[in-house]
Amino acid sequence: MSNLYLIDQPFASNALAIAADDSDALVVLIQDGVYADLTPLAKQNRLPVYGVAKDIERRGLGKRLEKTVQPIGFDKLVDLIIDHKVINFA
Amino acid sequence: MATKHVVFTFNHLPYGTVYYAEGLRAAVGVTSGIDEHTVDLVYLGDGVHFAVKDLDRTDSARYLATFAKQGVKLKVEKESLAARNISAADLADDTEIISHADAVDLIKRADLTIAF
Repeated sequence: MSNLYLIDQPFASNALAIAADDSDALVVLIQDGVYADLTPLAKQNRLPVYGVAKDIERRGLGKRLEKTVQPIGFDKLVDLIIDHKVINFA
Repeated sequence: MATKHVVFTFNHLPYGTVYYAEGLRAAVGVTSGIDEHTVDLVYLGDGVHFAVKDLDRTDSARYLATFAKQGVKLKVEKESLAARNISAADLADDTEIISHADAVDLIKRADLTIAF
């Protein structure tokens, strides 16, 4: 089972540094986590990165968001949480 | 319920918020139930400032005393120390330096992770 790193902003820098070295990871950015600087993930370009669409929209980040971030709804978020082991940084 | 291994990560500077003390309080709570869960305390990023030996630990002394009795050390990420120019000689006796790779491994293997 892959590890789902659930990441909010206060922990984003440390959490992304860990996720970048986990070869079996996916990342979900939640709440202010959608502001996170994704530079630590540059060395792991296969790692899937999702962002909660509502959190992206509320912050007006849609057009400025990095293209590697895939917006998801709450239904998909719930599916991901159920299907993976959650590593909580939120 | 079965025994689980829980990794607590500490990510904040040690003063100005209650994260560092509340995290330790929660960690003591996790170890004190009938399931006897086990914990690792991992200090990452700015959290490593908590590990220096001259820090005033008044707020967290009782939690740390509990972990000392259990032989649990504070695991401090080497790369975070280096980035902040903190040497091994600066650290308190109840700390243990681990590599970034070790931190990743601990977090991957944990049954549960909780961030403070």
